[in-house]
Amino acid sequence: MTLIGQTALALALILALYSIGANLFGLRSRRLDVLASARHALWAMAAMVALAAGALWSGLLRSDFSLEYVASYSSTTLPTLYKLTALWGGQQGSLLFWTLLLAIFTAIVAFQTRERNAEIAPYVLIVMAAVAVFFLGMLNFVTRPFDPMIPAPAEGADLNPLLQNYWMAIHPPSLYTGYVSATVPFAFACAALITGRLDDGWIRSTRRWALFSWFFLTLGNMFGARWAYEVLGWGGYWAWDPVENAAFMPWLVMTAYLHSVMVQERKDMLKVWNLALIGLAFALTLFGTFITRSGVISSVHSFTQSGLGPYFLSFLLAVVAGYTGLLLSRLRLLRSAAELESYLSREAAFLFNNLILVGIAFAVFWGTIFPVISEAVRGVKITVGPPFFNKVNGPLALALIFLMGVGPLIAWRRATRRNLVQSFTAPAAAGIVTGLFALAAGIHQWYVLSGFSLAAFVLGTIVVEFERGVAARGRMVHERPPRALVNLVAKNNRRYGGYIIHIGVVFAFVAIIGSSFFKTEVKRSVREGQSFEVGPYKLVYLGLSSLDTVHLENVSARLNVMRDGKTVEVLEPAKLLYKRQQQPATRVAIRSTLGSDLYIVLAGVDDKSGLVTFDVFLTPLVSWLWLGGVTMALGTVVTMWPNAREREAIAAAARRRVSALERELASEVRGA
Amino acid sequence: MRWSMVLSLVLVAAMSVPRSARAGAPARATIQEVGEGLTCQCGCGLTVANCNHPSCGFAIPTRGEIAAMIEKGMSRAQILHAFRHKYGEKVLSAPTTEGFNLLAWVIPYVAVGSGMVLILIAVVRWRRPQREAGGTRPAVALAGEQVDAALKHRLEEDLRRQL
Repeated sequence: MTLIGQTALALALILALYSIGANLFGLRSRRLDVLASARHALWAMAAMVALAAGALWSGLLRSDFSLEYVASYSSTTLPTLYKLTALWGGQQGSLLFWTLLLAIFTAIVAFQTRERNAEIAPYVLIVMAAVAVFFLGMLNFVTRPFDPMIPAPAEGADLNPLLQNYWMAIHPPSLYTGYVSATVPFAFACAALITGRLDDGWIRSTRRWALFSWFFLTLGNMFGARWAYEVLGWGGYWAWDPVENAAFMPWLVMTAYLHSVMVQERKDMLKVWNLALIGLAFALTLFGTFITRSGVISSVHSFTQSGLGPYFLSFLLAVVAGYTGLLLSRLRLLRSAAELESYLSREAAFLFNNLILVGIAFAVFWGTIFPVISEAVRGVKITVGPPFFNKVNGPLALALIFLMGVGPLIAWRRATRRNLVQSFTAPAAAGIVTGLFALAAGIHQWYVLSGFSLAAFVLGTIVVEFERGVAARGRMVHERPPRALVNLVAKNNRRYGGYIIHIGVVFAFVAIIGSSFFKTEVKRSVREGQSFEVGPYKLVYLGLSSLDTVHLENVSARLNVMRDGKTVEVLEPAKLLYKRQQQPATRVAIRSTLGSDLYIVLAGVDDKSGLVTFDVFLTPLVSWLWLGGVTMALGTVVTMWPNAREREAIAAAARRRVSALERELASEVRGA
Repeated sequence: MRWSMVLSLVLVAAMSVPRSARAGAPARATIQEVGEGLTCQCGCGLTVANCNHPSCGFAIPTRGEIAAMIEKGMSRAQILHAFRHKYGEKVLSAPTTEGFNLLAWVIPYVAVGSGMVLILIAVVRWRRPQREAGGTRPAVALAGEQVDAALKHRLEEDLRRQL
């Protein structure tokens, strides 16, 4: 297995290098056969990386401890699912997994560009292959997944217990998919800059890739938050940890990019800005990996620290310097006939939306690296934790939500007083009424009142937009409202999918406010048969039960959860002990409703006194965070879904290209 | 509509004043509030208020110390100052707002403010050519009832085909 894996990775590196060389030679000599060979080499590279990943998976499944990686991150008693996920549980495996995704995406792009984007395709593939060369270089020379373990131990060290959770089975792949797929728009942007083809062609070609990346970044962040919520046992889901921040920043920048490209497509503006954003998004994905791997910034999520930091930092700096140089060298070509008639216009709203999104990304970046700066400048270690990020980002988030309501309804070019009154009266009224209701309900914090009001305002703007569309269809094509609604979304999926995403963001925003401001915690030690109250619930402790397997010990406490005198559920929070590593872990018990989550942690068991201690959180609205994530994902799928109009546009573009090629060919024949 | 907006704003402003300020007496800090201001030193990366390690050697005794300090009548700021004196700045969960640390708080807003100024300058520049060319083009949103019937009919026909 070692030989197969190492050989496959070495061949993959050679193939990636060959592809770069062949593309360069093919471009210089105008040899189509050489360019085709470069493309084929990338497919072969993907096959080799897949073979290497398969070899490591095989080693993990067979508990082949002659491989150092398997011995370090698996064991014979590890459940099969986690043997599979152990591929990204350690340093070398996660880099191999990253490279596998990159190789697959590169192969797909090589396939997609066989007949499309012929002018820039070789450059796109050169950039993607160059990124692959970096990762394959790491895997071949710096952090080798197939190093042998001599002598092979009889048993492995096991996977970190915190990673033995189903959310961890899907969180890293989602996040990695989001990170790695950002390479595709970045490669197209580089190619556009190199070739000087700086119209919005590269944006249209990579729109789905950008959405795909955003989709998986969204899911990755959500899954990570859910993992933290269920596994870390502190009743929260986001702690502004550096690794969390590293995943959040590319999401913010990609969100800004997806909005600002609309302005370029519509108004041919913001070309430099869009190119800068996609470069920044890609650089931030590398920065995230740098943080996770380097140990420069301490993080509870850095499961795999190593000496890779300098390599990643060098690559990151090279990418930033190279891309910035390329961008600056093309500034003259990127000048557009920008025009903006009014601050009260959709393009202005998008500009401010971009400012806030990038501003939040910068604040997160600044807070993440400030401890390093402080230590370098003052020699004093400091911590930048949740209070900083909440205080700095809180007002910016309110501004962002406000703009999310304004952007979709305000007119392009210039909004008139009439446009503003027609569009915003009902949503503003919804916002004010919600604020007054919240006030009447005894909510006094200005942030909560503003947040709930703005959330209602944004939902109001979306309802107005849907209502307008449905009414228009009813008037024009005489459809009944339910059918009109379906057709409205189906035929304008990009626009209405975006609104669905906005609904998801509002849900998540409301959940964040509710769970941040109104969480209550109760800590009680009780004996069997005793009860205590948490909010509307009465919890009766029924007793302990234990389970001993070869892999772990499990001590569960049974709690009868009652509300209004009736049992609503029996919950069993547990303490686990992973035998191989002698590491304790928590399994929380959660009763989720749309109103609140009852979150129970078994904090301690005193065998002598018979007292069992529970840490219980009652967290309002937290379910809406997950619901918001699902809604955002659904909206993104709707947005990405191809529709007839788009297919027709693509077909028309293809027909135009064929006609142009025919004309070119005819003129060449005449010339000959 | 306008009076209700003004009224709600006034109410929001009035209610956003902390209760303690209205009551005239300073509220006692809670263990939770003070714990949020301190970073647990056990390596969990959470605040003292949130660390849930059952036998944490830092968060659990620290919460006890905080409770005792609150009993003595110390304010949140005084307690945080005492812990800073004992463990150094790293124990605080956010940078202080003095000296070099002030940069941590100020720079994000300076960056956003600078971005805002850049946008305003850019918009002024983007609007200038239009003004120099003799005003703005008629905006679509202005059209409203000014469009003639034939054009309106054509627009509706086009729209129907798109639908």
